[in-house]
Amino acid sequence: MSAHPGPRARLAGGLLFWYAVLGGAVAWAVHLLAGWGVDELTCASGSDHIGGVPLRAAVGAAVALPALATVGALLAAVLLWRRTHPPSEGEDRSVGRGRLLAVVGFWSNLLFLTIIVLGGVALLVLPPCQR
Amino acid sequence: MSTTAAPVPGASREQLGRLEEHWGERPSLRAWLTTVDHKKIGRRYLVTAGLFFALAGLSALAMRTQLARPESRLLSPQEYNQLFTMHGTAMIFLFATPMLFGFGNFLVPLLIGARDMAFPKLNALGYWIFLFAGLFMWASLPFGAAPNAGWFAYVPLTGQQHTPGLHMDVYSLGLLFLGIATTAGSINFIVTALKLRAPGMSLNRVPLFVWAIVATAFMVIFALPALNLDNAMLFLDRRFGTHFFDPAAGGNVLLWQHLFWIFGHPDVYIIVMPALGIVSAVLPAFTRRGVVGYVLVVFAIVAISIISFGVWVHHMFATGLPRLSYSFFSAASTIITIPSGIQIFAWLATMLLGRLVVRVPLLFVIGFIVTFVLGGFTGTMFALTAFDQQVTDSYFVVAHFHYVLIGGAVFPILAAIYYWLPKITGRMYHEGLGRWAFWLVFAGMHVTFFPMHLYGLFGMPRRVYTYPSEPGWDGWNLVSTIGSYLLAVGLLLVVVGVVHAIRRGRPAPPDPWGGDTLEWSTDSPPKSYNFPVLPQVHSLHPNWDESSRESMGAGAEADRILADGRTTLLTSELDGRREREVEMPGSSWQPLLLALVMLLFFTAMLFAWYPVAAVAAVAVAGTVATWLWPPRRPDRELGVSA
Repeated sequence: MSAHPGPRARLAGGLLFWYAVLGGAVAWAVHLLAGWGVDELTCASGSDHIGGVPLRAAVGAAVALPALATVGALLAAVLLWRRTHPPSEGEDRSVGRGRLLAVVGFWSNLLFLTIIVLGGVALLVLPPCQR
Repeated sequence: MSTTAAPVPGASREQLGRLEEHWGERPSLRAWLTTVDHKKIGRRYLVTAGLFFALAGLSALAMRTQLARPESRLLSPQEYNQLFTMHGTAMIFLFATPMLFGFGNFLVPLLIGARDMAFPKLNALGYWIFLFAGLFMWASLPFGAAPNAGWFAYVPLTGQQHTPGLHMDVYSLGLLFLGIATTAGSINFIVTALKLRAPGMSLNRVPLFVWAIVATAFMVIFALPALNLDNAMLFLDRRFGTHFFDPAAGGNVLLWQHLFWIFGHPDVYIIVMPALGIVSAVLPAFTRRGVVGYVLVVFAIVAISIISFGVWVHHMFATGLPRLSYSFFSAASTIITIPSGIQIFAWLATMLLGRLVVRVPLLFVIGFIVTFVLGGFTGTMFALTAFDQQVTDSYFVVAHFHYVLIGGAVFPILAAIYYWLPKITGRMYHEGLGRWAFWLVFAGMHVTFFPMHLYGLFGMPRRVYTYPSEPGWDGWNLVSTIGSYLLAVGLLLVVVGVVHAIRRGRPAPPDPWGGDTLEWSTDSPPKSYNFPVLPQVHSLHPNWDESSRESMGAGAEADRILADGRTTLLTSELDGRREREVEMPGSSWQPLLLALVMLLFFTAMLFAWYPVAAVAAVAVAGTVATWLWPPRRPDRELGVSA
């Protein structure tokens, strides 16, 4: 087995790394813009359907899919965290930096998941177009 | 723990002479106008923002004097409208952000072990534009043409029909002009922090103040375009009769509010975030330990800077949008308190576990925590839609945001002034004067703004130039006015303290506080080249770490002295690995010239001198082209044999 991963493995590892760090943030941004945008524009047009799909289902998808993506990012952050450790004296500085980003990714994914879930709870109790 | 002496320079006298030759400037008017030194530009930002703060503060005193008694006629409604609009606009755009950018300008290269900002000429341009945009806006006040519809400038009130005259044209053009400076500064901070860190400064060794400045810069880059777009559309509606905000012609009134608050709420954090970074920078020196939970504080900075973009609709809970839409923003507005709380608890734990040295900067940090937490508490109340709708447009809101902004920005700024004054001026301040200033500012702030919660709940609306005698309004308004004068005296004492330090203060040693970051490892004030030897960083607290300090003394290497030109080191973004030397530009007339032709363009647009504006636009394009034209290099440098 080679000590240095090939370019494809490095690319995949890099993408997984940044997914672990920023995946929840991106998913939450998509959730917010899609959920709010779809709800406000559809209600403003006087309808509660969008392309034949009930508005509640469309907004529900804007909650569920980003939530799943955030759970994935959370798991990736846990994986990253388990594969790093607190840096020790004289160790390569990328280890410490990787550890820092793993912790930042873990907590931020947890935070974004909470926000998305709270939005989902509101969907269960509020009619989509109630003003 | 460090001593108060800078490391013995590892550079020879001859190398120091060459560094001075490449980086130094002889004092002259030309040098003053053309300098690109980040320390000089940083100091100018601080002084200019301080002057704009004084003007905005005097506006506030005039308003509080008017509101001391009911039915007062000291100011006319027109004058009052201009004063409260300029007060808010100047405090937000011309004081808070530029002041913190001033500290960033002076400190970021010193904190990361670099010799200047990444784009020194762009840095100078940013300052000149900030100065001219501020003068552009304030100059309208003596002529009775200042902005007059609130710092948020809601349409349709700000349309030509309801607000004729130049007032809101000054606002929209002034902020568009200023936006160029803020954007340029932000790009500069990001590139500087990512590419010019000293070798060894990986992301997990970056000082928290730098994290905060970079997060702020990213927020500016993403938030400011919304405000620029808003102002451009407002100007087009007012001047050229477009209908972006006119529902009768297919426009949308709420579009202004959405775009304004997409900028406006992140802007609260744009103002507060660097100030929180200041607190994290000041605490280690006065608790004798690093900030507890460094990684979690970094997480909090990153999380706040992202979530702040998803809370803007909580400023619009009274606009009649669907309740489900509110809930998405309500959730984010509630959760954003968690990372804010993490920082507060990290600072409290740092103070609990450390050994407190109670000096003036620490007093202001403690004042910040008390005041900011109270402001945050009422902020959480606004996240509840039902409560928000009850107090919207009342003085309760005024109380809340002054607690947040004075607590979250002014107190840390004052802490920063006292903390870094020895580094900036090379002189120590008078401790007794500083303590008096703190207690007057602290007491004045709370006496002024706490009663506003009460008369807000008693129903007093904000933005009124006078009011009838109502139960619960009269007495508390008088208390607020007395508090505002107390606050003004405290702030005056801060100015007296700074002037006293510059004139009579004893010389400051390189490290008077035993600070942990790199700026304390060089002279006070630093030489033109910042560090005789660029450091090799080995830990999060390089000035407390013998290996890092030694790298600037006995362990100096020629490739970190760089005495053969005006150069600094480029390093990698994540791990701070050395990449190559990079040449830095010297003094130049271009920044000042470009800012002047931009000022001409915006002035011409204001007065509808369109041919002049066209000429100015061509001049702007020409100056930019000259600026970007590649310099002629010697053949040898290009690899061409003679």
